[in-house]
Amino acid sequence: MLFQSAGMKQTLQYDQTSCRLLVEGLPDVSRGHAAGAVGIITGWRIEWLGRPGMDGQREHLRALLEVVLPYARYRISGVPRAFGAEDDPVRIVPDGAERHRLLRRGEEGAAPQELSLDDAELADLVQVLDRLRLDPRLQLEADLPPSRPLTVRELLDRIPLRRRLAAPAGGLAALVLAAALGSLWPAPRPAGSGSGPSASPAARSADDGKPRPAAPPSPGAAPVSRPGSGS
Amino acid sequence: MEALPPPAETAGSAASPPLGRRGLERLDLMLLCMEALDSNGGEAMVWMSGQLGYQERFPNRVELWKRRCHNPLRRACRRGQLDGGDSEALIHITCQLADRLYPLLRSLLCSSDPPDLIEMRWNLFRLRLGELLRQRMNPRRSGVQALLAADTGQGLVRQLIQSLTLAAGPGGVDRLRASLRDAVA
Repeated sequence: MLFQSAGMKQTLQYDQTSCRLLVEGLPDVSRGHAAGAVGIITGWRIEWLGRPGMDGQREHLRALLEVVLPYARYRISGVPRAFGAEDDPVRIVPDGAERHRLLRRGEEGAAPQELSLDDAELADLVQVLDRLRLDPRLQLEADLPPSRPLTVRELLDRIPLRRRLAAPAGGLAALVLAAALGSLWPAPRPAGSGSGPSASPAARSADDGKPRPAAPPSPGAAPVSRPGSGS
Repeated sequence: MEALPPPAETAGSAASPPLGRRGLERLDLMLLCMEALDSNGGEAMVWMSGQLGYQERFPNRVELWKRRCHNPLRRACRRGQLDGGDSEALIHITCQLADRLYPLLRSLLCSSDPPDLIEMRWNLFRLRLGELLRQRMNPRRSGVQALLAADTGQGLVRQLIQSLTLAAGPGGVDRLRASLRDAVA
């Protein structure tokens, strides 16, 4: 972490392997800031080794902190979840399994900026932003929730949709199959009947092609009709 | 080397709730990954625990090993829950070691290096991790089998390495602590 000063203007510098973050600003004397503090941020930029970087104003820096650090919190649990809406100053979205897209909205006709980071570069950026967040010289009020354990619902995002749906879809298919087989299962025939067509000796003989002797009707037995059997 | 943060004992860590089964598994596997990266990793852990002020808690390798044996995936697994203070100490040691080994961890995830070099690093790392897993973990456990399998192992080990890179640095302890207490999906 370096600190440069030119007159009132201060530059805070945070380095990590491939990433350098520079924050320029002035102490806000109206709020009683000390000489080394940065309360009025005039600009910032991230420089990457051998590739274009990203820059912006105070609101972009705050948005950068508010999306990248929660994204890292989810990533450490293996959950790839986008942070920031389409119209937010900065957002970060997973790009495949091992890459991450950092997008900065363009201001007043300026083109939007986009960075594609691999896992190593994301880790560098997170370390740099952690140092920035904990630097007492920088007066930047970012809305950062404390790290908390993820719920089951949040963790489900790390399981692909196909795998998540496999169990309920399999259960539903098994239920439908069981219901279909159950509907094909013949209903128990009455011990003896004379009224229904299925109970007649002729119908029975038509079933298997062999004549069978009719069972003597029991006095208490009532004829049972199958639904849809036509009786 | 930068000055280490004050020992976790002062942060009221002894009152922190114990880690669950999954959290213990992940924490011990992360330490195992760092042992695979650093051949002197076991000694480095004891040294780091001393640096962080945990001499009384972990005076030697055996005490550290006894705490790590609460991992249900271990061959010699200990019953019961790990004390909240012990788990907090292990989290701090893991994060500090991840910070120390950050260049090595980062080199495994870096996509800008030549692909054959990245593959060579991964092959060497997976070879050493596989040896440690077979040596210390129960091969009948499905979690160990998944880590050793050719198809699923690579993704799981990569996730462990990514978690270690994000656990390094000043905000790493909070992230890792919260992550180890995630619900079981």
